[in-house]
Amino acid sequence: MGDYKSVKVTKGRGGWGGPLTIKPSDDRPLIASITGGGIHPVAQKIADLTGGEAFDGFSSSAPFEKIACAVIDCGGTARVGVYPMKKVPTVDIHGTSPAGPLAMFITEDLFVSGVKPEDVAEA
Amino acid sequence: MSGADSVSVYESAVTQVGGQVEAFLGHGLLIFFGAGSPPELHDISVLHEATLAEDGPCPGDTIHLGDPANGGVSLEVLAVGPVVRDNLLNLGHLDLKADGRTEPNLPGDVCVRVGDLPLLQPGDAFRITRPADQTTNGDPS
Repeated sequence: MGDYKSVKVTKGRGGWGGPLTIKPSDDRPLIASITGGGIHPVAQKIADLTGGEAFDGFSSSAPFEKIACAVIDCGGTARVGVYPMKKVPTVDIHGTSPAGPLAMFITEDLFVSGVKPEDVAEA
Repeated sequence: MSGADSVSVYESAVTQVGGQVEAFLGHGLLIFFGAGSPPELHDISVLHEATLAEDGPCPGDTIHLGDPANGGVSLEVLAVGPVVRDNLLNLGHLDLKADGRTEPNLPGDVCVRVGDLPLLQPGDAFRITRPADQTTNGDPS
């Protein structure tokens, strides 16, 4: 049903990892904004450009296996690890580098940080 | 410290403790999230429901975890990263690190002295208190 497009997400200033190419699918249509204060502009832009569906992970719940990409505003330890650990491409608003007990899961092919809306472009 | 000369800025009760929390304690790390957080975070987190959420921690505050009569601890806050307050007030999220640092390593860190952190249980308290008058040095009498 969906006609999805790819985007390329590049690390921002002070960021780490990536670039990631993100393309939702019928199985994984969701762009999860796991951030405070609603859907983050980076998540919205990824959704707009790809045809995916942005949703706020803190105000609604969705099956984890439907997530194409997680956008987080993690300051360092928890969210940066959990999504890459589960092989979900992860975009961090903050310029975080791998650290903490989950650092081994945070790899350049699954994680990019320091991302602003202008770092999201059509692939 | 006594309760009389400090005020609470955050009060909460633990509702659930994830299966990986104990493993993280071995790294000197305790992660909190609000009870409404996405389920994929529950494994690594202590979930809690706040009854008072006025402010995030500041250096010099005290974080109280659990029942003092049963292994609970009170920890002086040494350092606080710049995103800690938003994380806590918006998401109930806090990364507590027993790393003894006086400058936070990561923007989400709350640093306390090196040492054991307690394995919390549902029903345990999670509170942050602040000296009632931080400008007073010592006993005014």
